[in-house]
Amino acid sequence: MKTQTENVIVTRDLRKTYEDGGVPVEAVRGIDFALTKGEFTAIIGPSGSGKTTFLNLMAGLDSPTGGEVELSGNLISEMSGKELSNYRRDHIGFIFQAYNLFPVLTVEENIEYIMLLQGVHKKERHERVMKILEQVELQDFAGRLPSKLSGGQQQRVAVARAMVSKPSLVIADEPTANLDSKTSGDLLDMMKKLNEETGMTFLFSTHDEIVMKRARKVVTIRDGLLYKTDESSE
Amino acid sequence: MSLTAKLAWRNIFRQRRRTILTIMTMTGGFVLSSLSIGWMDGSYSGMILFFTNHRTGQIQVHKEGYLDNPSIYDTIDNYSSVGLEIDSLENVRAWAPRIYTGALLASREEGSPSGIYSNSAAAAIIGIDPRLEENATEFSNQITDGEMLTASEADSSLRATGQILLGKELALTLNVTVGDSLILFSQAADGSGADRKYTVQGIVSTGNPEVDRTTSYLTLADSQLLFALEGRVHELAVMTTSLGEVDAAAAEISGVTGSLGLETASWKVFAREFYAGMKADETQLKIMLAIIIGVAALGVLNTILMMVLERRREFGVMKAIGTQPKSIVRMIVLEANLMGLVSIIAGGILSTIGLLILSKHGMVFDPPMDYGGFVFREMLASITPACYWIPSVSVMITSSVVSLIPALKAAHTDAAKSLRTV
Repeated sequence: MKTQTENVIVTRDLRKTYEDGGVPVEAVRGIDFALTKGEFTAIIGPSGSGKTTFLNLMAGLDSPTGGEVELSGNLISEMSGKELSNYRRDHIGFIFQAYNLFPVLTVEENIEYIMLLQGVHKKERHERVMKILEQVELQDFAGRLPSKLSGGQQQRVAVARAMVSKPSLVIADEPTANLDSKTSGDLLDMMKKLNEETGMTFLFSTHDEIVMKRARKVVTIRDGLLYKTDESSE
Repeated sequence: MSLTAKLAWRNIFRQRRRTILTIMTMTGGFVLSSLSIGWMDGSYSGMILFFTNHRTGQIQVHKEGYLDNPSIYDTIDNYSSVGLEIDSLENVRAWAPRIYTGALLASREEGSPSGIYSNSAAAAIIGIDPRLEENATEFSNQITDGEMLTASEADSSLRATGQILLGKELALTLNVTVGDSLILFSQAADGSGADRKYTVQGIVSTGNPEVDRTTSYLTLADSQLLFALEGRVHELAVMTTSLGEVDAAAAEISGVTGSLGLETASWKVFAREFYAGMKADETQLKIMLAIIIGVAALGVLNTILMMVLERRREFGVMKAIGTQPKSIVRMIVLEANLMGLVSIIAGGILSTIGLLILSKHGMVFDPPMDYGGFVFREMLASITPACYWIPSVSVMITSSVVSLIPALKAAHTDAAKSLRTV
């Protein structure tokens, strides 16, 4: 269903309750949130505050028990499994904490995979892979397997994979958690640069001060509720 | 190669040792199945060819009811024209007429040339046309001593040769050799006495001592004259161009003989005891193949289940970035099929080597083996398409079916949950 909005993503009274050993756990307790195009926003909060659940709900990986998520004007709660799958493929780019590259595919093939799902023509796939590899400064590593790359390089490949399909929103769940501070800083600088160059919207959860400092907006979640939003003066 | 195929191919080598073990299990299943089929096909083809080529023919024509209740009176009249008509059929290679009766044979005691015929034995008498029989069954190859019966002109002349062939053991019982005389006592079809003196022309060894202990052979002309069966026979034995054409030839012959009150039976009918034994063996083989395939299937199932369990997070990532569940199912089934394909190639090579050895050297039975009334000295495997296509199809179906459940499990991985586990 298409609705009129200028926001990339909007949540209204978003709720998620889990059953944990028969005990209901309210992970997200009614969050109203909006993200406009081109934002570079961090979600912070202590462990168990509901950050990851919130991100999963917005990405359509998890279904809410209440409220709604609207992405680029589409209510994802009304989508079928197949529609959700296609929606994630075309509108969401994922960057995971543990990189999660396919170990048997080369850097180029890892990035190419999502475009293959989209049915992008081979020539265009190759061109887009080479362009994004240049942007993440890994053009000389196209033929390497992920196991031959450092953690920072692997995460840059993950960034390239997330962005190559030109999604509406790139969601990164603690992207620097496995990286040292220098690499984390470099990665964030690179992501920010890509955000500025492409106008793509970034939303990432983090505990990391380095990440928080580079975000233009920092949203704090506590006990499943939106606690506060800080805008950067930058 | 598509990226999914690449992914599947490379995935199967992630746990190299486990994959090799799985491929070895499937290859073992392939080889055992292939060798069993080749051995079964070869040994049975050999047996069937042996007894049909040397004795019975692959198809027999009798008067209706003769096969169930043989009688000297149930004859094929005008057999010559029926036989020639059968001979003209496409799938027929040769034919031979035969007469079957019984008699008492008596020989003189040794050292008593003018003495009494005191050695006697009951024997089956088979009347054969030497030329047609030679053409059909190469009968003379079974004569170990002496010579083949002299061919007389067509039965119209009814010229008696006075020659007889004796089974090896029968000759021992009667204590006669080539050139000796014996007397045959019996009753003709017209009720008159049938007795005559014959000279032993040769000794026959069919390879079956039971048969050779009780069988003797006269020319067709001699037996027609002796048993008052002029122009008549009990059986037309027919040889086909190949074993595979037996059913087609039998149908053709039925078309010729059906209106004449004759019945046509393939070896499956007249050697029904042997055929039933063969069918029972086939069932055993099928059960054995099912067990072999089942064991291989368990190996594949174990591997795929382990693989799915280990890669749960990866399937979560695939789903998160938009891979459809059916693509995940396709990829996992493809991984199992690729292992199957490698097994088929390896199994095909190993089976060919094994089958070549078994088809050249086979198994020698000493003493000969009696199977369903027929005696065999050697069994060889044969290399047929079934040796390859049955195991290949089994491996591919097994790998597909067995991988389906783990594949569906992987396809329904909860992406959010699997990504939460580090």
